[in-house]
Amino acid sequence: MNEPAAGCEFVEESPADLASSEFSSLYAENSRAIYYLALRFLGDPQKAEDATHDVFLKAFRKLDQFRGEASLRTWLYRIAINHCQNLRQAWHDRHMFSNADDAVWENAAAKTDSPLRVLEIKELGQRIQKTLAGLPDEYRLLLLLVADEELSYEQVGTLVGQSPDAVRGKLHRARKTFAALFEKTA
Amino acid sequence: MKHQTKLSEEQQQPSRQVGIEQQTQQQSAREFANAEEMLRYDAAHTTVPPGIAQRLQKSTGQPGAPPPRSWWRNLLGR
Repeated sequence: MNEPAAGCEFVEESPADLASSEFSSLYAENSRAIYYLALRFLGDPQKAEDATHDVFLKAFRKLDQFRGEASLRTWLYRIAINHCQNLRQAWHDRHMFSNADDAVWENAAAKTDSPLRVLEIKELGQRIQKTLAGLPDEYRLLLLLVADEELSYEQVGTLVGQSPDAVRGKLHRARKTFAALFEKTA
Repeated sequence: MKHQTKLSEEQQQPSRQVGIEQQTQQQSAREFANAEEMLRYDAAHTTVPPGIAQRLQKSTGQPGAPPPRSWWRNLLGR
Protein backbone atom coordinates (compact mmCIF):
# COMPACT_ATOMS: atom_id res chain seq x y z
CA MET A 1 0.00 0.00 0.00
CA ASN A 2 1.31 3.45 -0.82
CA GLU A 3 2.37 5.75 1.93
CA PRO A 4 -0.05 8.58 2.56
CA ALA A 5 1.04 11.90 1.13
CA ALA A 6 2.62 14.33 3.53
CA GLY A 7 0.07 16.56 5.15
CA CYS A 8 -2.78 14.19 4.48
CA GLU A 9 -4.55 12.88 7.48
CA PHE A 10 -4.26 9.15 7.59
CA VAL A 11 -6.78 7.34 9.67
CA GLU A 12 -5.80 3.79 10.16
CA GLU A 13 -8.78 1.54 9.74
CA SER A 14 -9.05 -2.00 10.84
CA PRO A 15 -9.78 -4.52 8.10
CA ALA A 16 -13.29 -4.91 9.44
CA ASP A 17 -13.89 -1.14 9.36
CA LEU A 18 -12.51 -0.85 5.86
CA ALA A 19 -14.55 -3.76 4.64
CA SER A 20 -17.58 -2.27 6.29
CA SER A 21 -17.18 1.12 4.64
CA GLU A 22 -16.55 -0.40 1.21
CA PHE A 23 -19.53 -2.65 1.61
CA SER A 24 -21.68 0.32 2.59
CA SER A 25 -20.71 2.03 -0.65
CA LEU A 26 -21.47 -1.11 -2.60
CA TYR A 27 -24.88 -1.31 -1.00
CA ALA A 28 -25.65 2.37 -1.47
CA GLU A 29 -24.81 2.26 -5.18
CA ASN A 30 -26.56 -0.97 -6.05
CA SER A 31 -29.33 -1.72 -3.57
CA ARG A 32 -32.08 -0.03 -5.57
CA ALA A 33 -31.21 -1.94 -8.74
CA ILE A 34 -31.04 -5.27 -6.95
CA TYR A 35 -34.18 -4.67 -4.90
CA TYR A 36 -36.13 -3.60 -7.98
CA LEU A 37 -35.05 -6.68 -9.90
CA ALA A 38 -36.07 -8.90 -6.99
CA LEU A 39 -39.35 -7.04 -6.49
CA ARG A 40 -40.48 -7.29 -10.08
CA PHE A 41 -39.04 -10.74 -10.67
CA LEU A 42 -40.57 -12.26 -7.55
CA GLY A 43 -43.64 -10.05 -7.39
CA ASP A 44 -43.72 -9.83 -3.62
CA PRO A 45 -42.28 -6.95 -1.55
CA GLN A 46 -41.46 -9.10 1.47
CA LYS A 47 -39.79 -11.79 -0.61
CA ALA A 48 -37.91 -9.09 -2.50
CA GLU A 49 -36.69 -7.63 0.78
CA ASP A 50 -35.51 -11.02 1.97
CA ALA A 51 -33.89 -11.75 -1.38
CA THR A 52 -32.07 -8.42 -1.44
CA HIS A 53 -30.74 -9.04 2.04
CA ASP A 54 -29.58 -12.51 1.05
CA VAL A 55 -27.95 -11.30 -2.17
CA PHE A 56 -25.90 -8.64 -0.41
CA LEU A 57 -25.00 -11.00 2.38
CA LYS A 58 -23.69 -13.46 -0.20
CA ALA A 59 -21.80 -10.64 -1.85
CA PHE A 60 -20.28 -9.66 1.47
CA ARG A 61 -19.11 -13.18 2.09
CA LYS A 62 -17.81 -13.73 -1.44
CA LEU A 63 -16.22 -10.42 -2.24
CA ASP A 64 -12.82 -11.99 -1.93
CA GLN A 65 -13.80 -14.14 -4.92
CA PHE A 66 -14.67 -11.14 -7.07
CA ARG A 67 -11.99 -11.07 -9.74
CA GLY A 68 -12.92 -7.84 -11.43
CA GLU A 69 -13.71 -9.54 -14.73
CA ALA A 70 -17.14 -7.95 -14.66
CA SER A 71 -18.46 -4.82 -13.06
CA LEU A 72 -19.58 -5.11 -9.48
CA ARG A 73 -23.15 -4.43 -10.54
CA THR A 74 -23.04 -7.22 -13.10
CA TRP A 75 -21.59 -9.52 -10.47
CA LEU A 76 -24.37 -8.58 -8.04
CA TYR A 77 -26.97 -9.13 -10.74
CA ARG A 78 -25.56 -12.59 -11.34
CA ILE A 79 -25.97 -13.45 -7.66
CA ALA A 80 -29.46 -11.92 -7.61
CA ILE A 81 -30.64 -13.71 -10.74
CA ASN A 82 -29.45 -17.07 -9.46
CA HIS A 83 -31.05 -16.46 -6.08
CA CYS A 84 -34.40 -15.32 -7.51
CA GLN A 85 -34.52 -18.10 -10.07
CA ASN A 86 -33.87 -20.65 -7.34
CA LEU A 87 -36.72 -19.18 -5.29
CA ARG A 88 -39.08 -19.22 -8.23
CA GLN A 89 -38.09 -22.77 -9.10
CA ALA A 90 -38.87 -23.84 -5.57
CA TRP A 91 -42.33 -22.25 -5.82
CA HIS A 92 -42.95 -23.90 -9.18
CA ASP A 93 -42.01 -27.25 -7.72
CA ARG A 94 -44.43 -26.73 -4.86
CA HIS A 95 -47.34 -25.20 -6.71
CA MET A 96 -46.95 -26.49 -10.26
CA PHE A 97 -48.32 -23.34 -11.88
CA SER A 98 -47.25 -22.30 -15.32
CA ASN A 99 -46.81 -19.11 -17.23
CA ALA A 100 -49.32 -18.09 -19.82
CA ASP A 101 -48.91 -19.77 -23.15
CA ASP A 102 -46.23 -17.78 -24.91
CA ALA A 103 -47.94 -18.15 -28.25
CA VAL A 104 -51.03 -16.36 -27.00
CA TRP A 105 -49.02 -13.25 -26.29
CA GLU A 106 -46.75 -13.57 -29.28
CA ASN A 107 -49.79 -13.49 -31.53
CA ALA A 108 -51.62 -10.80 -29.65
CA ALA A 109 -52.36 -7.68 -31.65
CA ALA A 110 -50.06 -5.18 -30.00
CA LYS A 111 -49.15 -1.87 -31.50
CA THR A 112 -45.56 -1.84 -30.36
CA ASP A 113 -44.86 1.49 -31.97
CA SER A 114 -47.56 3.25 -29.98
CA PRO A 115 -46.73 4.62 -26.53
CA LEU A 116 -47.69 2.75 -23.41
CA ARG A 117 -50.12 4.98 -21.62
CA VAL A 118 -51.05 5.00 -17.98
CA LEU A 119 -53.59 7.35 -16.46
CA GLU A 120 -52.95 6.92 -12.78
CA ILE A 121 -49.33 6.76 -11.81
CA LYS A 122 -50.19 5.12 -8.52
CA GLU A 123 -51.47 2.13 -10.44
CA LEU A 124 -48.38 1.84 -12.53
CA GLY A 125 -46.58 -0.54 -10.22
CA GLN A 126 -49.57 -2.83 -9.96
CA ARG A 127 -50.04 -2.94 -13.72
CA ILE A 128 -46.36 -3.51 -14.33
CA GLN A 129 -46.33 -6.36 -11.84
CA LYS A 130 -49.40 -7.92 -13.40
CA THR A 131 -47.86 -7.60 -16.85
CA LEU A 132 -44.51 -9.02 -15.84
CA ALA A 133 -46.22 -11.92 -14.10
CA GLY A 134 -47.71 -12.95 -17.43
CA LEU A 135 -44.42 -12.82 -19.29
CA PRO A 136 -42.15 -15.80 -19.81
CA ASP A 137 -39.27 -15.69 -17.32
CA GLU A 138 -36.80 -15.02 -20.10
CA TYR A 139 -38.62 -11.90 -21.30
CA ARG A 140 -39.23 -10.64 -17.78
CA LEU A 141 -35.58 -10.87 -16.88
CA LEU A 142 -34.45 -9.39 -20.18
CA LEU A 143 -36.64 -6.32 -19.84
CA LEU A 144 -35.65 -5.75 -16.23
CA LEU A 145 -31.96 -5.89 -17.09
CA VAL A 146 -32.20 -3.76 -20.21
CA ALA A 147 -34.07 -1.16 -18.18
CA ASP A 148 -30.90 -0.64 -16.15
CA GLU A 149 -29.06 2.04 -18.06
CA GLU A 150 -25.78 1.02 -16.48
CA LEU A 151 -25.80 -2.28 -18.35
CA SER A 152 -24.75 -2.63 -21.97
CA TYR A 153 -26.29 -5.19 -24.32
CA GLU A 154 -23.08 -7.15 -23.96
CA GLN A 155 -23.42 -7.25 -20.19
CA VAL A 156 -27.09 -8.17 -20.42
CA GLY A 157 -26.17 -10.89 -22.88
CA THR A 158 -23.60 -12.27 -20.47
CA LEU A 159 -26.14 -12.34 -17.66
CA VAL A 160 -28.81 -14.14 -19.69
CA GLY A 161 -26.41 -16.35 -21.62
CA GLN A 162 -27.12 -14.81 -25.00
CA SER A 163 -25.18 -12.88 -27.61
CA PRO A 164 -25.81 -9.14 -27.89
CA ASP A 165 -27.58 -9.73 -31.21
CA ALA A 166 -29.81 -12.34 -29.62
CA VAL A 167 -30.57 -9.89 -26.83
CA ARG A 168 -31.67 -7.28 -29.37
CA GLY A 169 -33.88 -9.79 -31.17
CA LYS A 170 -35.51 -11.10 -28.04
CA LEU A 171 -35.89 -7.61 -26.67
CA HIS A 172 -38.05 -6.73 -29.66
CA ARG A 173 -40.33 -9.67 -28.94
CA ALA A 174 -40.31 -8.98 -25.23
CA ARG A 175 -41.40 -5.37 -25.81
CA LYS A 176 -44.19 -6.54 -28.08
CA THR A 177 -45.39 -9.11 -25.58
CA PHE A 178 -45.18 -6.63 -22.71
CA ALA A 179 -47.21 -4.07 -24.66
CA ALA A 180 -49.90 -6.61 -25.49
CA LEU A 181 -50.18 -7.73 -21.89
CA PHE A 182 -50.04 -4.23 -20.49
CA GLU A 183 -53.02 -3.20 -22.61
CA LYS A 184 -54.99 -5.99 -21.01
CA THR A 185 -54.30 -4.74 -17.50
CA ALA A 186 -56.13 -1.45 -18.09
CA MET B 1 -28.23 1.80 -24.19
CA LYS B 2 -28.38 5.14 -22.51
CA HIS B 3 -30.92 7.41 -24.04
CA GLN B 4 -33.04 10.38 -23.18
CA THR B 5 -36.44 9.66 -21.79
CA LYS B 6 -39.45 11.48 -23.07
CA LEU B 7 -40.45 12.07 -19.48
CA SER B 8 -37.72 14.48 -18.59
CA GLU B 9 -40.05 17.44 -18.18
CA GLU B 10 -42.56 15.53 -16.12
CA GLN B 11 -39.94 13.99 -13.89
CA GLN B 12 -38.54 17.29 -12.75
CA GLN B 13 -39.22 18.13 -9.16
CA PRO B 14 -41.78 20.87 -8.75
CA SER B 15 -40.07 24.09 -7.79
CA ARG B 16 -42.85 25.14 -5.49
CA GLN B 17 -45.60 23.60 -3.49
CA VAL B 18 -48.59 22.73 -5.60
CA GLY B 19 -52.02 21.52 -4.65
CA ILE B 20 -52.99 17.91 -4.61
CA GLU B 21 -55.31 18.33 -7.57
CA GLN B 22 -52.63 19.96 -9.61
CA GLN B 23 -50.21 17.19 -8.75
CA THR B 24 -52.76 14.62 -9.80
CA GLN B 25 -53.17 16.35 -13.14
CA GLN B 26 -49.42 16.39 -13.66
CA GLN B 27 -49.19 12.70 -12.89
CA SER B 28 -51.96 11.64 -15.21
CA ALA B 29 -51.78 10.42 -18.78
CA ARG B 30 -48.10 9.63 -18.65
CA GLU B 31 -46.74 7.96 -21.72
CA PHE B 32 -43.81 5.65 -22.19
CA ALA B 33 -42.21 4.80 -25.49
CA ASN B 34 -41.46 1.22 -24.51
CA ALA B 35 -41.38 -1.26 -21.67
CA GLU B 36 -37.85 -0.42 -20.51
CA GLU B 37 -38.70 3.24 -20.20
CA MET B 38 -41.68 2.39 -18.05
CA LEU B 39 -39.66 0.02 -15.89
CA ARG B 40 -36.92 2.61 -15.53
CA TYR B 41 -39.44 5.13 -14.28
CA ASP B 42 -40.97 2.58 -11.94
CA ALA B 43 -37.55 1.65 -10.57
CA ALA B 44 -36.65 5.28 -9.96
CA HIS B 45 -39.79 5.64 -7.87
CA THR B 46 -39.27 2.46 -5.90
CA THR B 47 -37.98 2.90 -2.38
CA VAL B 48 -35.63 0.33 -0.95
CA PRO B 49 -36.97 -0.73 2.46
CA PRO B 50 -34.63 0.60 5.16
CA GLY B 51 -35.01 -2.67 7.01
CA ILE B 52 -32.68 -4.38 4.55
CA ALA B 53 -29.71 -2.27 5.53
CA GLN B 54 -30.47 -2.79 9.20
CA ARG B 55 -30.68 -6.54 8.75
CA LEU B 56 -27.45 -6.55 6.77
CA GLN B 57 -25.71 -4.60 9.46
CA LYS B 58 -26.69 -7.27 11.95
CA SER B 59 -25.91 -10.13 9.60
CA THR B 60 -22.45 -8.90 8.73
CA GLY B 61 -21.61 -7.68 12.20
CA GLN B 62 -22.60 -10.68 14.23
CA PRO B 63 -19.78 -12.68 15.75
CA GLY B 64 -20.98 -15.77 13.92
CA ALA B 65 -20.84 -14.13 10.53
CA PRO B 66 -17.85 -15.04 8.39
CA PRO B 67 -15.28 -12.25 8.28
CA PRO B 68 -14.68 -10.45 5.01
CA ARG B 69 -11.25 -12.13 4.93
CA SER B 70 -9.23 -11.19 1.89
CA TRP B 71 -11.69 -8.69 0.44
CA TRP B 72 -9.86 -5.76 1.96
CA ARG B 73 -6.56 -7.31 0.99
CA ASN B 74 -7.74 -7.49 -2.62
CA LEU B 75 -8.75 -3.87 -2.53
CA LEU B 76 -5.39 -2.85 -1.13
CA GLY B 77 -3.47 -5.10 -3.45
CA ARG B 78 -1.94 -7.30 -0.83
